Amino acid sequence: MRFSFTLWAKVVIARALIRVIAMYGDPLWILVNVGGPLLTSTALAFLYRFAGLPQFTGFAILGGGIAAYWGNVLWSMASQLSWDKRSGMLYLYITSPAPLTALLIGMSLGGILGTLPSSIAVLITGTLLFKPPFSPPTITLVLIFMLTLVALYGMGIALSSLYLFLSREAEEINEALYEPVSFLSGIYFPSIGRSSPLPIAIQAVAALIPLTIGMDSLRRTVFYAEGLSELWPNIALLAAMAVTSIYIGLKMLSYIERRGRETGDILVTLK
Amino acid sequence: MANVVVENLTRVFETKSRKVLALDKVSLEVRSGEVFGLLGPNGAGKTTLIRILTTLLLPTSGRALVGGYDVVKEAKKVRGIIGFSSSSERVGFDFVTARRNLWFFSQLYGLSTSIANRRIEELAALLEFQDQLDRKLYTLTTGYRQRLNIARALINDPLVVFFDEPTNGMDVFSAKKVRELFVKEAKINSRTMFLATHNMFEAEEICDRVAIIDKGRILAIDTPENLKSSLSKPVVLFETDVAGAQIDDPTQLEGVVGGTIRVDDENETAKIRVILRDEIFLEKILDILEKRRVRVYNYQILEPTLEDVFISQVGAGFAERERSVEV
Ligand SMILES: Nc1ncnc2c1ncn2[C@@H]1O[C@H](COP(=O)(O)OP(=O)(O)OP(=O)(O)O)[C@@H](O)[C@H]1O
Ligand SMILES: [Mg+2]
Repeated sequence: MRFSFTLWAKVVIARALIRVIAMYGDPLWILVNVGGPLLTSTALAFLYRFAGLPQFTGFAILGGGIAAYWGNVLWSMASQLSWDKRSGMLYLYITSPAPLTALLIGMSLGGILGTLPSSIAVLITGTLLFKPPFSPPTITLVLIFMLTLVALYGMGIALSSLYLFLSREAEEINEALYEPVSFLSGIYFPSIGRSSPLPIAIQAVAALIPLTIGMDSLRRTVFYAEGLSELWPNIALLAAMAVTSIYIGLKMLSYIERRGRETGDILVTLK
Repeated sequence: MANVVVENLTRVFETKSRKVLALDKVSLEVRSGEVFGLLGPNGAGKTTLIRILTTLLLPTSGRALVGGYDVVKEAKKVRGIIGFSSSSERVGFDFVTARRNLWFFSQLYGLSTSIANRRIEELAALLEFQDQLDRKLYTLTTGYRQRLNIARALINDPLVVFFDEPTNGMDVFSAKKVRELFVKEAKINSRTMFLATHNMFEAEEICDRVAIIDKGRILAIDTPENLKSSLSKPVVLFETDVAGAQIDDPTQLEGVVGGTIRVDDENETAKIRVILRDEIFLEKILDILEKRRVRVYNYQILEPTLEDVFISQVGAGFAERERSVEV
């Protein structure tokens, strides 16, 4: 059968739509995903203000806006396929004509759209409360923001395939990853570059995480008004990371499908 | 037309500790408009066969065609014309309505939304859950949720539908609805309904033909009537006192091909159900039981069931088999 773009598009749209509906259909989800980042970033902003670092309050608020996506990627994207495996949903996906790539991309798109309101809520509340010195938005900012999201969700796609291989429960891996990655990627403070408090070796590790590069670039546009001429290496790196993680994720997925059909236990949970 | 063709299909699972022959040279054909049952105890290989036919699993050797397409070489084509549901799945989005859930699954097949909506209404009417369509999934009772899964398996108007233990754990009323639907879908819409079950009653009631499977091998395939009448041996039920339970393997008794023993603790009785090589052994068994001080309250010759067909070939019933085979 030829690759059908119509089917691909229908699956992307359906998966994205369901994700958004499911997110807002669950009150607890809203509480955790809007409330969590809002509280963390507000608490940090107060801390920075009282510590006499008013320029850092902006970092905390920007971080809150992005933390929501990072949470969404880890808790909803990365674990999704292993949940789908446990519930039997992955079985249906594999044995239907729907391409897995379309399902994952739809899931990402839905996650981004569904998280947007909570991200905006954090940014608006933080801005009103603390009036941080944000530079006016530029095209570069939009570009970096979008690339950061693509790289972040690309990581989600790669992780979600990887989780199928690991015998540990998705929740356990998430728990293990969430804090260290949040810390290293410097969501709430500069973890790489001149103002980073971290030793250079740790900075080097941190720079391997796409979120780190994204946060660094965002901070430099928003607070230091840097433009394309200064940021192009970051942008190139971010784009390369996005492409690589999506590529690896999708390759891994088709490998998993092939391998799963041979072994019989990667795609379905045995009783 | 044969919608399912299976030829010498074998599947071996290799794990670190052992090698399991889950399917051993299985061959069968199922036509359109047929309700076909795969009947066997736990670990017989039913799920494995369905997984291969639905393209989730590759065979080790042999060949299988669904709707004329090879399940290995033309998996994508097979996927467009099949439906699947299993009682062990817990599929769907809890915080989304039943209707939206079904719509989502229709999109996996690229259905247009108008056709999908029509299908959803039709299927909900057939399975009597129209009033549940606009409720979120997590508010649905198990029975409705299971009916929804059956509807989902039919959403793409499939040529062949596979059901793995479809009515397992279902309430009596839902199970009745679902069984009626299976027959209707086969007869009116000429679908092939392929079910794996270890429910004899279900197999006898709705299947046009049944394949009895044990340890990956097909023991017999025929209509339920023919299977039962092919068993020309008498089936006898002895009702005894609990001492009857001392006999743990009925095949120890002379002339017994196979059988089962069930103890009823409440009434302090045991039911020894055996298939005899010939009616002449009836008297002998009564003698043996007397010698072993087992009191026989009552005995009678029974109409054979599908399990008796299984017992006559394997020597033991489903329950005994499941205990002896490590699954
Ligand atoms: N992925 C696997 N890896 C190893 N062994 C497996 C795998 N899948 C199934 N088996 C084994 O293959 C045999 C057949 O299993 P299968 O699930 O097909 O039986 P079944 O008839 O569906 O039983 P049940 O009634 O319990 O569902 C069993 O011994 C089972 O343990
Ligand atoms: Mg099974």
